[in-house]
Amino acid sequence: MKRTYIPKLDDILGGGIIDNASVMFSAVPGVDYEAFGYQMLNGRLRDGDKGFVFTNVAEPETIIYEFRSYGWNLEKFLEDNRAFFVDGTSPFMGLPSDAKYSIEDYSQVEEAILEAIEDVPDGIGVINNLSTLIDYLGEDETINIIKKWNLHGKKYNTSLVYLFTKWDYNFDLVQNLKKSMDCVVEIKTIEERVIIGQGFMVAHSSWSKPSDTMVLFFVVQPGGVKVYIPKILVTGPYNAGKSTFVKKISKRSVSVDRKALSAFPTTIALDIGHLEYKGFIADVFGTPGQERFDLLLDVLGRESVGAFIIVDSTAPQTFARAKEMIRKAKAEAIPKVLVANKQDLPGALSPEEIREKMKLGEDIPIIPAIVTEGKGVTDALEALLGLLYGD
Amino acid sequence: MVIELIVRISSGIPGLDELMGDGGGSFVDNTVTLIYGPPKVGKSIFSYQFAYEGLRNDEPCLYISTDYGLKDMERNIANFGWNLDEYIDNETFYLIDAISTIAGVEVESKPNYFLASVHNPTDIMVKLGMAIRQITSKASRFRSVLDSLTTLMAFNDEVLIVRVFTVYIMRIKESGGTAIVTYTEGSASCKVENMLKAIVDNIIHLDGENLTIEAMIGGGKIKAHYDITREGIIVD
Amino acid sequence: MFMKDQEVKVLEDLLEDVAPGDLILVHGPPKVGKSIFCYQFLYSGLEGGEPCLYIVADYGSRQLEQRMMEFNWFLRPYIQSGDVYIIDLLTRLAGVKVEDSVTLRFSSVQNLTDLMVKVGVGTRSLFRKSSKFRSVLDSLTMMFAFNPPSLVLRLVKAYKTRISEARGIGVVVHTIGTVEPSIETSLMDLADLKLCFDGEKIQIESSAGRRSAQYTITDNGIEFWGIK
Repeated sequence: MKRTYIPKLDDILGGGIIDNASVMFSAVPGVDYEAFGYQMLNGRLRDGDKGFVFTNVAEPETIIYEFRSYGWNLEKFLEDNRAFFVDGTSPFMGLPSDAKYSIEDYSQVEEAILEAIEDVPDGIGVINNLSTLIDYLGEDETINIIKKWNLHGKKYNTSLVYLFTKWDYNFDLVQNLKKSMDCVVEIKTIEERVIIGQGFMVAHSSWSKPSDTMVLFFVVQPGGVKVYIPKILVTGPYNAGKSTFVKKISKRSVSVDRKALSAFPTTIALDIGHLEYKGFIADVFGTPGQERFDLLLDVLGRESVGAFIIVDSTAPQTFARAKEMIRKAKAEAIPKVLVANKQDLPGALSPEEIREKMKLGEDIPIIPAIVTEGKGVTDALEALLGLLYGD
Repeated sequence: MVIELIVRISSGIPGLDELMGDGGGSFVDNTVTLIYGPPKVGKSIFSYQFAYEGLRNDEPCLYISTDYGLKDMERNIANFGWNLDEYIDNETFYLIDAISTIAGVEVESKPNYFLASVHNPTDIMVKLGMAIRQITSKASRFRSVLDSLTTLMAFNDEVLIVRVFTVYIMRIKESGGTAIVTYTEGSASCKVENMLKAIVDNIIHLDGENLTIEAMIGGGKIKAHYDITREGIIVD
Repeated sequence: MFMKDQEVKVLEDLLEDVAPGDLILVHGPPKVGKSIFCYQFLYSGLEGGEPCLYIVADYGSRQLEQRMMEFNWFLRPYIQSGDVYIIDLLTRLAGVKVEDSVTLRFSSVQNLTDLMVKVGVGTRSLFRKSSKFRSVLDSLTMMFAFNPPSLVLRLVKAYKTRISEARGIGVVVHTIGTVEPSIETSLMDLADLKLCFDGEKIQIESSAGRRSAQYTITDNGIEFWGIK
């Protein structure tokens, strides 16, 4: 087993990849994912393995610069001959190349990679980028070559990592590509008109049964690929049931509160929880209900990707306050779900009545709930995830 | 608000500068001009004149020659009464000679004289880089000639040369150069010829009798008669 | 210098069949004014409060600014205010070290994956500034020289999808005759509006029908007349 050095990915894969695995990162256009391949290479080089990068999209100089921007030193490994380039870019542009292998013509690419694999037994090779190969060589030719490379990789115990941008290729080709790989990691975007996030998930792996967790990530310089844990806001008027809701949706939660000398304990600080549901991971922040803590709403709201607004269905006089909190948390701009709590109590208004009274648009789901009994909590989560991830 | 003066580079062709740019101009600084037409209409002569105009005014010139080696060039230029030696000696004339080695001519390289081969565009680009570094350490503005694209395309994949040409253009522009490039009409595929016309800034067509400015930054289309005289090209 | 109201009105007349989310293909032979049209489209948008994403793929960002200055269109203030987001695909080829800034990103004409990443970031940034924005890809010519043509077509599709998802108006410039006819046909099929420049006339073709206008390039940009 070898590590991938991508946070969370090793866990999902059951510890890492088998030594001679062929791994394909298949990303939709728009996602910054080259770092996945480079991060794996960097980690392996630091562990003492040898490795190479085949590039047909960037000159070696540019790639070295990119490594540096992530805080990784590729030059050192190049100098020690533990890493080298298979340069399919420079000769193509009539530029000089001092790479170990340089490819002037695509007819040479198959042979060059086979030799490169032989040079890095027990090591790793990164192919950046498969899409360009497909459009140059043709679909069938590329699949054939990949099979040969993967076979060679098995023989020399070399891991092969392919970067594939999923342009509008036909379905069969993509399926064939996936079938020829031991492991496929799909990289997708989360969109609200524009790209607001990105995540990876393992589509299949020949050595483990991966969960279908989608891990949100971002790429930082320096640092590389990091897991992104979004914040979910839980807000609403005083005593609507926010604290209870936070506890119910979280695997583990912490309440920092002080029991006031009154009939209802009130939260005067935050309820913080950590949620993991169907592969969605988030930190949950429940806000205090009283107006004097409203400036917290501003801060928390700014960083949240979604919000639950809990209202007491028997207290329509608090609805105006709920709307105000939505506005103050800037929750207008993020996906949100209204939880109509205390449905079991007499005088509880139905979701439709609440929508009418609050004049809420149809785009905000209203979920009936009895939070103390855990009823409606899952529905609310499903509703928010549905908004976040679309269909 | 800073008003940038638009610098003009004189062509060295009598009568031509008056035509360029409404009311007269010359080439805009940092542009690339395609000089094209049938064979033997004066494209190389245009190049010599352009180069010489700069040299006379202390502007270095980076000349890439694929058809005529140093000796031939010296002789051709001397026919018009211009003397290249002075500028070779004072190192304002830089020549990348991509033909002499193939012709088997014995020549020595100097700091401003590079040997290369039309078969190896990569090496030409390496020499280009070396020459540019030397020139920019001395001057902020210079001229360049690439004579000719046709020969490069005869010995290499045409689209490879388009890419190499793109790199040449970007390097020249980023280092303060103004270039002219020669090309024989019809010598490459239509597709490639259209690409060439699209990536240059200005286009001048010579047909033996008339010179047509087909495109010019800061100016419009103009046609005029020209002659090749003992003093070079003169435009009416 | 501000665009004359008349000029802006004419430009809008020409584009009256365009809706947010549409892709406009500006095509024609080399050197007929396609880029100048784009600068005009960019600048009139900026003055009207519509930010713009500009991908320069045939020349560098410095040349973009210089060329626009020929018409007294000054881009610098808009670059500084973040209303123009430029992606420069060629300057890296010059071998100079270039630094990205918030609104000027450098990528490579050969790395179409990276281009789409920057298009994504750019559209997000402009979408947050204004619900109406414009985008120009000037032009496909060098992309066809540096990439397999089929891949460039895929990029255009992805670009169209990205811009239209954000309800922007996207423009793609293509020099006729620089790629195989089958690719050109596919390109034409992708466009919602086609503007064909021939040096004297512009033909406007959309699902709403065909129109045409005469044009000439002046010191103030392109002047159109005789729209029918």
